Amino acid sequence: MNYYAGLDIGSTAIKVALVDEDGKLAGAHVAASGSLFYKNAKEAFETLLAKLGVERRDVRYMIATGYGRKLYKEADDSISEITANGIGAHEVGKAHGGVRTIINIGGQDSKAIQIDSHGGVTHFVMNDKCAAGTGRFLDVAARNLEIDLDELGDYHFAAVAAPLTINSTCTVFAESEIIGLLANGHGKGEIIAGIHHSIAKRTVRLAKKVGLEDRVYFDGGPALNRGLVAAIQEELGREMVVPKHPQTTTAFGAAILARSEFLAEEREFVADDA
Amino acid sequence: MKSSLESVAAPALQRSSVKNVLRDAVNGVDFNRFRFWLQIFFFVLLVYGGYAGINFGNSLPTFSCGYNSSGRPGVCYLMPLQHQLAMPWPVLFGYAGITVLTGFFTFFLWFIVLNKGWCGFVCPLGTIQDWITGLRKRVGVRFARYSHAQFQTLSWIKYVLLALMILIPLGIGAGYVSRDMSAPFCAICPARMIIPLFAADFRQFMVDFSSPTKIAMTALGATVTGLFFTGSFVKKRFWCFFCPMSAFHYLLSKVAFFRLIKDGGKCTRCGDCYSVCDLQIKEIADDVKTPQIMMDDCIVCLKCVAACPEEGALKASFAGMTIFESTEAGFVKRMEKGVNS
Amino acid sequence: MNGPLKTTTPVAPVPAATIVTAKTEPLPFGRTKQAQEAERALNHIIDDFDDNPKAMHYFYDLFRRVYCRGESIAAAGIRIGTTCIHAPEELVYAMGATPVRLCNGSYHYDQIGADFMPAKSCSLVKATLGMLCSENPVPRVGKLDLVVNPTTCDQKKKASAMLQEMGHPVFDLELPNVKESEASRVYWRRSVRQFVEELRRVTGRKLTRRNLKAAMARTQRAEKAFRVLDGFRRASPSVFLGKDAFLVVNAYFFDELDRWCEAVEALNAELGERLEKAIRAAQKKAPRIVFTGSPPIFPNLKLPLLIERAGGVVVSDETCSANRMLYDMTAIDEWLLNDMVDSLADKYLKPCTCPIFTKNEDRRRRLLELVTKFSADGVVYQAFAGCQVYEMEQRSVAQTLNEKGVPMLYIETDYSPDDEGQLSTRVEAFLESIKTRKRNRA
Repeated sequence: MNYYAGLDIGSTAIKVALVDEDGKLAGAHVAASGSLFYKNAKEAFETLLAKLGVERRDVRYMIATGYGRKLYKEADDSISEITANGIGAHEVGKAHGGVRTIINIGGQDSKAIQIDSHGGVTHFVMNDKCAAGTGRFLDVAARNLEIDLDELGDYHFAAVAAPLTINSTCTVFAESEIIGLLANGHGKGEIIAGIHHSIAKRTVRLAKKVGLEDRVYFDGGPALNRGLVAAIQEELGREMVVPKHPQTTTAFGAAILARSEFLAEEREFVADDA
Repeated sequence: MKSSLESVAAPALQRSSVKNVLRDAVNGVDFNRFRFWLQIFFFVLLVYGGYAGINFGNSLPTFSCGYNSSGRPGVCYLMPLQHQLAMPWPVLFGYAGITVLTGFFTFFLWFIVLNKGWCGFVCPLGTIQDWITGLRKRVGVRFARYSHAQFQTLSWIKYVLLALMILIPLGIGAGYVSRDMSAPFCAICPARMIIPLFAADFRQFMVDFSSPTKIAMTALGATVTGLFFTGSFVKKRFWCFFCPMSAFHYLLSKVAFFRLIKDGGKCTRCGDCYSVCDLQIKEIADDVKTPQIMMDDCIVCLKCVAACPEEGALKASFAGMTIFESTEAGFVKRMEKGVNS
Repeated sequence: MNGPLKTTTPVAPVPAATIVTAKTEPLPFGRTKQAQEAERALNHIIDDFDDNPKAMHYFYDLFRRVYCRGESIAAAGIRIGTTCIHAPEELVYAMGATPVRLCNGSYHYDQIGADFMPAKSCSLVKATLGMLCSENPVPRVGKLDLVVNPTTCDQKKKASAMLQEMGHPVFDLELPNVKESEASRVYWRRSVRQFVEELRRVTGRKLTRRNLKAAMARTQRAEKAFRVLDGFRRASPSVFLGKDAFLVVNAYFFDELDRWCEAVEALNAELGERLEKAIRAAQKKAPRIVFTGSPPIFPNLKLPLLIERAGGVVVSDETCSANRMLYDMTAIDEWLLNDMVDSLADKYLKPCTCPIFTKNEDRRRRLLELVTKFSADGVVYQAFAGCQVYEMEQRSVAQTLNEKGVPMLYIETDYSPDDEGQLSTRVEAFLESIKTRKRNRA
């Protein structure tokens, strides 16, 4: 059985995905990038193989993507995470009526991507100059509110009063603002809902630059946060597709591409021989 | 370093063939010299052709002046037109109408071959103006320009003259206007006085005192001729700007075979064409939407095509076939010659 | 007095802080940060690609000498600095002076300029000002007898006063804001004549028909050499890379004119041979890109290099540090002085596609024509952060291109070297999408 691997080496997390001969997802794994990301990427890959009981030699082709894609020399090829995300979202979206717009909120950046009917990228915009509106903002907020990241969604829905407005455009200054709100006795739920709405507004503004088309696919780690998803849905006003494992869409896309590239090369090889 | 651009730049993009070699030779021609000699040829033909017994008829779309009685190889259509229009109306709108129509039709057939190229390459009056311009250049005097406002106002004059040229003879035929005003345009046309000069005929150099009308008309004619000389000295193709023949041509020009075509997409609006245009036509440089770019003042001298550095942006075509077009190599060759002259 | 004299020396109290003195000897230029920046850029240009044309070594060597070793380029005679391509160089050459384009691409000077310029300013203006207020700037242009500053964008305009304060004699060359009107043509022609007067004052020479013709013969040679080079870039697969093309034209800023022409003519001859031998500079399927926008100036060839390292090839450009500098040629009808000056003036104004003018339909048409002529697959639009005019024009250019099915990538950047990762993601995604598009169409 042949397998194909996609390795998404992000600044915060490393995601690996494996697809089988038929292009179906065999499994995926998420690990922290840490500071020795090369070592951690290798380990994450080996962990996934072990989990699925797959031998290294059965993985015929690997594509690396993400921030650290160029430096992972063991990959056969590298592509930008934008292209990979497009392919992955397109594939997942097929079962839900097809997607044309992708919103990705990552650890340190956010993107909006428009794809065509084949999953090819036609247009994209990125915000990678400012951490506000990215996963980092949520990290900072959670730390200040002394809760876990996974609890953010619950708090969002537990809010009784209206979401509070967070005025600061900068993550660092927003910290002080959050602390101030807490000190004034405002509830965590309202604060968190406010943060979610702030991120949602920013993200949808970015997405509008690329043109919003049904359906909108939302992925990246922060998409696990149901509260954030709800906030974005409100802001978008469109049908959204949120995958069960939003962090791994890009790695999945890379794995699918690994498979098609390998098969294409094989065809060329055969053609040359013939 | 080869002088021709094509042979060095991207030879893979150009396949050499007889057709391409011919094309390059034409497009890279020393345009000013070519035109100079062509104009001399036509000048000799139209001023002295009669001596060789050549007769092209009475409907020529150029100033082959009828007053040059022995030298002319045919008559400028405007003279017979004015005489025909001056026929009494019952005659004009009766059986003689056929004559007018055939005359016009013949004129039209001659015209559509060269379009306004008759002005730029054939007309002896135009050639004379170019010679005067050459004299000015030799003396080192710079030419004058009309301001934009002046240009707009003055450009109506040719249409006024054309209208008068038609209305006054009609008035004569109807009996409203005196017969002394017959061929009113010929009376004021500078060609009447100037062209016979070349055949050593000074008979037109006078004021006709036979009647007040005649005095006025011939005096006006002398003034216009004087203006012609002074104007042509300071302004390139001075007369052509006011010429009713030019206006007449333009009204018929849409269906002519010979055309000036512009490909607006290739135009960089560099204005080189405008810089060299004798008639100060702005549209040649500024209009990037109209393909048939020949304007009413244009004399189709094709200097603009020769001065355009963008491949294929301007071309002279005959019945759809490109005869002469702007090329990078041709431009460079001509400008190199100019700067080293 | 009491007892023997103690021989211990009194201990001075330890100072609370240590005093650090600056090194007394300045680093040799070759070891400064600035030289390193240039060295790094040049090494990328040379080493990241194999089989560079041999004739390019003249240019590599030139930049190494001038930017990395700080060799003087000071031309003989009077030097007129220019801050924009609008300053007619033919007139400068005619009056026996040498024009030197001062626009600077160094991050080092950008940071110096940032000391006194607003935070959100154009990197190019900051770098140029930073260079001009430095004691012994690189490239070593020597003492400038005049700085001609065409009144183009806001920041350049205001820089005029700053330049004067730095001690440079500045001449404001008045450029109209509207290109199309007859009034602006007249205005600009008059401006150019004023420039001639100023040059006469500075050089003490008169402009004559003969010396202007001679000057035009020299610049015509450069324009012709450039056009031939440009023609080679149309070849598919490419025989020549954009990073080299940019370097060649950037050299025109300060290199000696006739020597530059010779070097380009030699390069053209070599490219002709390469074309015949079918030597490729890029893969057949490499996405062909037209580069437009804020001008890449050495050592800031960051974005074109990125595009070509990622497998694309910059086949043409619409920037004032390359194509627009040398592309337009002047046609003269009568070789008399006034006609020549007027025609020159028109050449500098009418075809210009700089976004400083009110409407810029000409730029959009030009881009479409370049895409067609060079068989390009996409356009990369660079805008320096702070360049209001390029940033504002981005939308209409994108719309025009997209209507014709040409994809465009808009990148906002500056001189800082730290956004390479972000830029490479965008550029690679763009090139990948082009490849996918072509594959799907096939």
